[in-house]
Amino acid sequence: MNLKNAVNGIYALTSHSLKGLLLSRKAVITLIVLLFVVAVMGYAGAQDVDALPDGANLMDALILFFFMPVMAMIFGSSLIRDEIDNKSITHVATAPLDRVFAYIGYYLPLALAVSVSMIAITTAGFLSFFLQHGVNGAALEVYSEFTALVVIGSFVYSSLFLATSVLFKKPVFFGLFYAFIWEGFIGSIPGAIQKASIKHYLRSIGSEWIEHGDISEFDASGFGGSAAVLLGLTIFFLVFGAYLFREKEIC
Amino acid sequence: MIEAETGSGSVMVAESLGKWYGEVIGLNNFNLEIKPGITGVVGPNGSGKSTLFKLMLGLIKPNTGRISVFGQVPWANSQLHSEIGFCPDYESLPSDSTGREFLSLIGHLHAMEGTTLSKRIEEVASLVEMSRAMDRKTGGYSKGMKQRMKIAGALVHDPQLLILDEPLSGTDPIVRKELIDLTKRLNKEHNHDVIVSSHVLFEIERMTHDVALMYKGRTVATGDISEIRTLIDKHPHNIVIEGHGIAALAKALLDEDYTVSVAFNEDRSGITVQVSKPEDFFNGLPALIGEANCSVSSMYSQDDNLEAIFKYLVGR
Repeated sequence: MNLKNAVNGIYALTSHSLKGLLLSRKAVITLIVLLFVVAVMGYAGAQDVDALPDGANLMDALILFFFMPVMAMIFGSSLIRDEIDNKSITHVATAPLDRVFAYIGYYLPLALAVSVSMIAITTAGFLSFFLQHGVNGAALEVYSEFTALVVIGSFVYSSLFLATSVLFKKPVFFGLFYAFIWEGFIGSIPGAIQKASIKHYLRSIGSEWIEHGDISEFDASGFGGSAAVLLGLTIFFLVFGAYLFREKEIC
Repeated sequence: MIEAETGSGSVMVAESLGKWYGEVIGLNNFNLEIKPGITGVVGPNGSGKSTLFKLMLGLIKPNTGRISVFGQVPWANSQLHSEIGFCPDYESLPSDSTGREFLSLIGHLHAMEGTTLSKRIEEVASLVEMSRAMDRKTGGYSKGMKQRMKIAGALVHDPQLLILDEPLSGTDPIVRKELIDLTKRLNKEHNHDVIVSSHVLFEIERMTHDVALMYKGRTVATGDISEIRTLIDKHPHNIVIEGHGIAALAKALLDEDYTVSVAFNEDRSGITVQVSKPEDFFNGLPALIGEANCSVSSMYSQDDNLEAIFKYLVGR
């Protein structure tokens, strides 16, 4: 396999899919979520609040806890699955590009598109809240730390939802179950079971970085261990998804 | 590179090939060798043409038997795709991309870049007569334009083999003629081997004389189309003739050697004639109509559909 050709193929697929993701109807969903977050955080910011802890709590609950997995699910459940269903994947599957590389060419734009959407949502939410209380150094620190968390989350969740979109014919059902029931419910009940969620490890990393709000007191699993778990999960889902994609018959 | 031993000098060799989807059989004990040039693959819907092409492209795995393209096994062999251009029978163009963006994506996926790719895109756009529509979204193309753009996509990387799956399907007569001429030109002037499928025999006949007839997942006849035509002509044809004074025509027909039987329709407004030599029948019919002094308002063959021909070939 010529590595240069593989890199060219990954780049071509990444730029094509990234454009498709960011300029498609999913951009409208991002905009709606962004407006919702602005409305909620803007309203909360207008109240008499303790800016740093309350602002951090809102970003934690609204963005990291809720919209992070939901947005990754919306983008990830459809990228490859839509192309398989509308058969436009034929042009990729009949190119001289090993399907493992083609899979990476889908993963990268997905993770980037989710990151861009989540950064936009995080930025808008942050500004709508903190502009009412003054954007100082501590507030910017909270912002940059949450931004880093959503970027990490985008890469982890994207690897999961991309793999499930190859595995299932209707990946959105799994996505809804995972995002709302598993991450939303199981991931928030007390005890060891919550460690079986991606959110737990994201918040664990966050608890090491962020000094304000509930997340700073989160019963964490440790930075190094959490980072290793998230990296391990991402690699596992990527390898699993690439294997499924390579073995998949395109009918 | 994954090598297969058989079929040296052949474009494609299939031996005892089988593919099924659950309980549905796509191909069953399928054997075929395709040589360089233009080859027509003809069969009714569901005969396994698209399954064959998907196996050739490595999009699906065979359940039994072997298939090789240019001596290589297609499954999990992405490098083979450098040699093949595929125009599918379904809508596959990304509707939110322009023609140029689509061809650029295909080119990049085939490791082409820079001015080489730009020049090639202009060349193939000109070849399929789509130069003026290159910057329009493919979602707004007509059926004929989409077919041309799909063929352009198959041509961008200048492959040795072109697989055109039902390229004429759904197009108007003018576009059909243009696509038939283009297919012939791709072989004659650009030296591409072409495998083209259709469920209409006469369309293929206008492109090539080398055909493979498929029916229910098997090859029922291969070779020169004139031999297959002869075979088909031996098949008793049922022709319906309607008009006034048809009884006299029926009587005249019964005296001809090629007439197997004549039956009146229920309302006696027409007859169904079974003939063994359709060519002789059609040549002699005007004279018989004159002799019988009748008027014919309509005439059609009940056997013009491929299904009837294939049933005959299978049952012969």
